[in-house]
Amino acid sequence: MSVSKQEIKTLARLSRLEFSEEEIEKFAPEFEEIIDFANRINEQVAGDTGSIREVVSRTVKWEDLREDEVVESLPNEKITSNVQAENGYFPVRRVVK
Amino acid sequence: MRKVISTLSEKLQSGEITSVQLTEKYISAIEAQNPRLNAYVHLTFDEARANAQAADKMIKEGKATALTGVPFTLKDNIATDGLFTTCCSKILQGFKPYYDATVWAKLKAQGAVLLGKTNMDEFAMGSTGETSVYGAPLNPVDNTRVTGGSSGGGAAAVCANLAAYALGSDTGGSIRQPASFCGVVGFKPTYGAVSRYGLLAYGSSLDQIGPMTQSVTDAAIVYDAIRGEDKADGTSVPTSAQKTVLKGDIKGLKIGISEEYFDGVPTEIKGAIDNMISAYEKGGAQVVRVSIPALKLALSVYYIIACAEASSNLGRYDGIRYGYRASNYTSVDDMITKTRTEGFGKEVKKRIMLGTYVLSSGYFDAYYKKACLLRKTVESQMAEAFEKCDVLFAPTAPNTAFKQGYSGGNAVETYLSDVCTVPVNIAGLPAISIPCGKDKNGLPIGMQIIGKKFSDALVLDTAYFAELNGLSKTAEVEGGVKL
Amino acid sequence: MKYRLVSGLETHVELATATKIFCGCTTAFGGSPNTHCCPVCTGQPGTLPVLNKKVVEYAIRAGLATHCTINTTTHLDRKNYCYPDLPKAYQISQFDKPLCENGYVELESGKRIGITRIHIEEDAGKLVHESGYTYIDYNRGGVPLIEIVSEPDISSPEEAKEYVEKLQLIMRYIGVSDCKMQEGSMRCDVNISVMEEGATEFGTRTEIKNMNSISYIEKAMAYEYERQIEVIEGGGKIVQATLRYDEHTGETSVMRTKEDAQDYRYFPEPDILTVVIPEEKVEEIRKGLPELPTDKLHRYIDELKINPATAKLLYKYKRVCDFAERAFALGAGVKNTVNLIVGTLYSKLETEEDKEKFALPVSAEEMAKLVKLVDEGKVNITLAQKTLAKMAEEGKPVSEYIKPEDVAGMDDSELTEICKKAIEANPNAVADFKAGKDKAIFALYGFVKKATQGKADIKKADEIIRGLIK
Repeated sequence: MSVSKQEIKTLARLSRLEFSEEEIEKFAPEFEEIIDFANRINEQVAGDTGSIREVVSRTVKWEDLREDEVVESLPNEKITSNVQAENGYFPVRRVVK
Repeated sequence: MRKVISTLSEKLQSGEITSVQLTEKYISAIEAQNPRLNAYVHLTFDEARANAQAADKMIKEGKATALTGVPFTLKDNIATDGLFTTCCSKILQGFKPYYDATVWAKLKAQGAVLLGKTNMDEFAMGSTGETSVYGAPLNPVDNTRVTGGSSGGGAAAVCANLAAYALGSDTGGSIRQPASFCGVVGFKPTYGAVSRYGLLAYGSSLDQIGPMTQSVTDAAIVYDAIRGEDKADGTSVPTSAQKTVLKGDIKGLKIGISEEYFDGVPTEIKGAIDNMISAYEKGGAQVVRVSIPALKLALSVYYIIACAEASSNLGRYDGIRYGYRASNYTSVDDMITKTRTEGFGKEVKKRIMLGTYVLSSGYFDAYYKKACLLRKTVESQMAEAFEKCDVLFAPTAPNTAFKQGYSGGNAVETYLSDVCTVPVNIAGLPAISIPCGKDKNGLPIGMQIIGKKFSDALVLDTAYFAELNGLSKTAEVEGGVKL
Repeated sequence: MKYRLVSGLETHVELATATKIFCGCTTAFGGSPNTHCCPVCTGQPGTLPVLNKKVVEYAIRAGLATHCTINTTTHLDRKNYCYPDLPKAYQISQFDKPLCENGYVELESGKRIGITRIHIEEDAGKLVHESGYTYIDYNRGGVPLIEIVSEPDISSPEEAKEYVEKLQLIMRYIGVSDCKMQEGSMRCDVNISVMEEGATEFGTRTEIKNMNSISYIEKAMAYEYERQIEVIEGGGKIVQATLRYDEHTGETSVMRTKEDAQDYRYFPEPDILTVVIPEEKVEEIRKGLPELPTDKLHRYIDELKINPATAKLLYKYKRVCDFAERAFALGAGVKNTVNLIVGTLYSKLETEEDKEKFALPVSAEEMAKLVKLVDEGKVNITLAQKTLAKMAEEGKPVSEYIKPEDVAGMDDSELTEICKKAIEANPNAVADFKAGKDKAIFALYGFVKKATQGKADIKKADEIIRGLIK
């Protein structure tokens, strides 16, 4: 199965990853190999395979859903403990000069 | 096999040693051995010492359980409040969660002592331990070999006596395969039996936390301590209120053998498993031939589903709320892309790309949807097999531990190493890997015992027969803490 | 050439549950940034969503109130897209099996706007852009939403307005949302295309995103309708695109075109099991539904004989209706009750929101007492209006303003005495009246009103005066 460079770029955009042209050259054959590998399922079984909902076998009962009872939220210092918060917000610089 | 936990627990409760003393012994051993083995990536000795003091208090007050005061490790993908949890990835560099995973909360409440976080393949994506940003752990049995993965650090720590037990996670064999490579016991419970809350997700419908130990006895103790329904995990289920009782009772047990599991498995490994089966037959078990044709598809099904889920699960690593953030960028969008590009390793990127591919609009039906349907086929064929037998015996891996660096040039070959372990995850079944002899290089071989859903106790008890009768021996290596 | 406007709306409504859809954090509006948050709603790695039962219940309520069928086996899906306000980089929503399907909303003309589906999903956080920084607040992240998708049945901005107002009304009636567009608890995406009169195929459509006011929806639709016609008449083609509406210029502009459209890669949410809703639960919810606005309006007009204009002023405000109906139940006459509400109380409630809240310190019990005095002719309508106005300001009971003796003392003989005095004091008016100038009697009313400080029933006084003069 061949995957075009353009396709790899589209997948990269959706995945929020960036590959340089050289990286794509290197990555393309590896990626094709893994897709060929995944594609084995199509060699073995053909035809329409129905609805994917059929595979959802486990269910949750109505009474096991969560009740609408408020649990105290965590303090802002905890929520933002892995960043340098500003006025309680998660900040990201938009433009770097 | 060595009953590490019960031995230590007896010593602690009889007052022969305190948890603080025991913990110091482990700390010294880790300080001596870890720089070479690289089993631990984050040491939590302050936490361990505090846990040990609390444990000693519990023991004094008569509130001890089997795990009170016993030092252990968590895989680096299990959330620990205020302690590094990085999935061995650059993208989670410096990340300290502000909440505890349910398993850690449960163990802490029972007085467990956390020595550190153990090495793993980045985001549990790998079968060697080598995709870790901290470098691979070494196999204590043979330092030129890999530990297997992804829970390689945990397997190495348990094998080298640098922890009494370890918690790993198993998405496609990540507990069982390294256990097999390092000659220890690795148990993957039924999907839902142990809460996933706090396990940094790889493939959500496949992931399961479980113990890695030096004996089946130990595995049962840890399993009992961490299992049960959790309101924070809607996919968890209630488990038995009874403690798991091990008797090694296999009289009349029907052992299923599926040829498909042995396809392409070297005779050396096949032979080792045949020997084990014979011993079970002598013990009163009965062998039944079963056929599970869909196993041939399981590996591709696994990679499609796991990667699809991973591509979504790993979307959140964007540099905004935690972890690594790129420093040169031109916009928020650019920051996110650069952070991910710089933060994720090659294997992770490849799997994210595959996951995006199989879910994207032109390919969804041909890959993801078909894989889901085939998953159902695997599940129902395995369920059918269990109508004819109580447990399945199978190799854990079609190979023993690879040489370091092997996976670099053999991507798909390395994936094939998971061929025997993934069906269990696809079907959500319990399975244990126990040591089953050695190959010509002296490397441990692993055998799996697989049960139907929620037959975790039967799987453990079947494995216990091997422990009880000396049929399975865990690897013995120099160094580490002596009991 | 004549063109028809073809439009469908996607309406997001925030549900008024106490907690978020997948965690126990409060849904309260506002709050300091990132204080209504926990590991789950900020997408901390390793956390898992746990579905709020009330969200499902409210969504079913919304579905039943819009005549939808309920899928009792329903599932959540992940919609994958990366944006800083979406902490997991996917939104948990519903893709191919929404909770509710195939309903409608009826407009006053009787025309039905089809509801394709209603599904549940989570809201995103908020971004603040300031001096080169983007600041992110996840308080709103995880607040439950329903998305109500209409069929392309809307054919004018006026219909769109009425449809949105009807939806608002229904959601408020059934208590699932306050639907405050200015606070963002109700937002619309508008799909628009035009087709030549008599054509059989829809034209290419555009979508105007995130409209948060009904008047903007009307204006944007009108603008976009004209724009599309202009493009077509000019020989051009409509490009499928997502647009934004600029409130200041009144124009639409392109946000993104089909080429750079998102691929959301929907797949079943593995962390939440399929939800099975018992049929009895759906029935229980159906039985618990209040009378719906359209039904109420019809009942007011047909059964209570309220004139249609007044009925329309009332039925939009559920609390007002509840108040009036309690007063009816206590024996207050319909006509006087509704006239006093619309005439007097509404003058104290200037905005839509005031009427919606209906937070006046007048109880239905006191209202009923007052109306009954009017019904029985013991107090005239003018005094009743004045009294009610004071009650609405001061919150005191009727008895504070109208003493028992005022009412009881005004018996026929007393009134007759006053009427006699009125005749004596106004000989000219009486003469005019006798000469056939009927309106001259008004001067006598004035005397009676003044003498009784407005407490007299003028109708009765009229009878007495006419009797005496004869």
